Amino acid sequence: MARLELNVSLNRVEGDLEIAVALEDGVVAEARTIGTMYRGFEQIMIGRAPRDSLVITPRVCGICGTAHLYSAVLALENAWRLSPPPNATRIRNLCLMAEGLQNDLRQTFLFFSPDFCTSRYAGEPWFDEMTAMFEPFRGAIYLETLAMTRRLVEIVAHFGGQWPHSSYMAPGGVTLPADLRRISACRAVLQEAQRWYEQRIVGAPLDRWLALDRAEDYLAWLDEPLHAASALGALTRCARALGLHRAAAGTGHMLSYGSWRDPLESSPGAGASLLRSGFYDGDAGSVAQLDQELINEHVRHSWFRHYDGGRHPWRGETVPNYQPGGDRYSWAKAPRYGDKAVQTGPLAELLIGGDALIASLHAMEGGGAWLRQFARVRRIAYEFFYAQRMLDELAAEPHGEHFTPPAGSSEADGDGFGLVMAARGALGHWIAIRNGVIERYQIITPTAWNASPRDSAGLPGHWEQSLVGVTVKDPDDPIEIGHIIRSHDPCLVCTVHMLDTGGKVHFGA
Amino acid sequence: MIERHIICFGNPLHGDDGFGPAVYQRLAPHARPAGLRLTEAGAPGPAALALFQDCAEIVIVDALAPAGTPGRIGRPSPAAVMQEATPAGHGVGLGYVLRALAALSERPPAIEIIGAEAGTVAPFRPGLSEPVARAADEVAALLLRSYFDSERHV
Repeated sequence: MARLELNVSLNRVEGDLEIAVALEDGVVAEARTIGTMYRGFEQIMIGRAPRDSLVITPRVCGICGTAHLYSAVLALENAWRLSPPPNATRIRNLCLMAEGLQNDLRQTFLFFSPDFCTSRYAGEPWFDEMTAMFEPFRGAIYLETLAMTRRLVEIVAHFGGQWPHSSYMAPGGVTLPADLRRISACRAVLQEAQRWYEQRIVGAPLDRWLALDRAEDYLAWLDEPLHAASALGALTRCARALGLHRAAAGTGHMLSYGSWRDPLESSPGAGASLLRSGFYDGDAGSVAQLDQELINEHVRHSWFRHYDGGRHPWRGETVPNYQPGGDRYSWAKAPRYGDKAVQTGPLAELLIGGDALIASLHAMEGGGAWLRQFARVRRIAYEFFYAQRMLDELAAEPHGEHFTPPAGSSEADGDGFGLVMAARGALGHWIAIRNGVIERYQIITPTAWNASPRDSAGLPGHWEQSLVGVTVKDPDDPIEIGHIIRSHDPCLVCTVHMLDTGGKVHFGA
Repeated sequence: MIERHIICFGNPLHGDDGFGPAVYQRLAPHARPAGLRLTEAGAPGPAALALFQDCAEIVIVDALAPAGTPGRIGRPSPAAVMQEATPAGHGVGLGYVLRALAALSERPPAIEIIGAEAGTVAPFRPGLSEPVARAADEVAALLLRSYFDSERHV
């Protein structure tokens, strides 16, 4: 072999997202989230066979391919009026929970927590403790998370053959049944991970942790030795010491499509969920029933061919039309629920889904950056709980049907939607089939909701609202923005650029 | 445990960043000896950690950052690649993956890296530049000679 020594880096093409912020006296006065890369999967799908969505759309993301596959198959089943057998739904749920587990652990302890180990915080009383736990490649929890999350995705591989980018779901079910070997292998991985979560992350057995239901009780619990020494205990004390529990609530409106389908109450493409769906109205403080017809997307400030107002995804289009220099600033569209900008993610999922502790903390302090991150760690408990339940139910009926072949006549023209809660929040696929091929395909990702630009009425998206009012102590090191954006688990690489424009200090364009 | 795993990283939609997938395309049609695995792995996020399990030796194929000589073949050391600076997030690079592997308590596999220096790396510009395409031919031929020449094929 030819041998040459080069000391070069292997950097990937980066920079899908920029946060542009205007500071006045050190406080964010205006923010824009800029999606800098055109995705284009909607255009790729046009004219293809409907089942192509099962292979192509899981490639939207290397982290949540199972969620995209799940949305895609639900959209087809909704269009074709198919219902999968209960065991298929159990396997789909199990794999989605495994994907969520690996993501929630990595996002919390590999991406969010290390921000507290930077030299900016070297003088803080909690700095040594945070560093011992979360310093990249050295901290104890950081290393344990790396090892544990690598195992969790084996669950998806048992049923999907690989992770990510697997395509094991099909209209009518899944491609592999749940034999006892697969069930045992998945149970072993889950049990090991749950023990670690109980001992190292929350410092309590799962049932006790899930039974905690009042804000006051949790704050008192922070002083209990086992939780105090746990990763969540340390992270909570640190984040609250920095005031992140009162920072960056953003829009009060929240959206959840409901967590994991109920295997026994599945209707074509939808059905009941194990944690309920809904829209949390931040003004009224109440949850309304989800109505997917209210979802629409605006392009007034996006680089797409113009249309007036917002359009429901079945009538939507995604035709790129790059217009630099004007008041359009993003490759992301602006999704809205009715006329409301909303946020989505674990906080929305658990608040709408009925978790009493999250509801109590939200009622006491509002939905700041800490509660968003806290909800993500709390959701891990639900993922363990329901994943074990899915395995128990599969073990009780291992020879149950995993696939109901659809009749050829069922694959007709029509419209369908598939809604799931992905790791980062509400994910929806909408498909319109005409003359046997895809006429329209629209995807609204969780990050599209959170990173939305302004809409036709000029209403900023959730991140843009979250950042206004945030104090940035050092414009050369705007770590406060990093805490807030990372608390949403952005699916785009978060980069902050600085450009001095004179009267104000700007980050970004 | 398999003997050797050739992992090709890169994005074929981004110009010369598609070097790894191009090498994969050249290797994939050939019969592989038992104990050799071949994978096109896309971008090396945290998911790539699973590719390094249960294997004695890893050969990584990837594009090298532009440095003025497109198509020049290089074999940087894993230690050098670990020094790359990429932001934390889902777009973490190969350096992050290698550092994570080294940090895990288990014994990591032996790792070789072979790449070609990119000329142009631009979003959504599919296709390799001419010198990098030639390098893909050369690296594929080298890998075929080195690792595919066995009587036990699968």
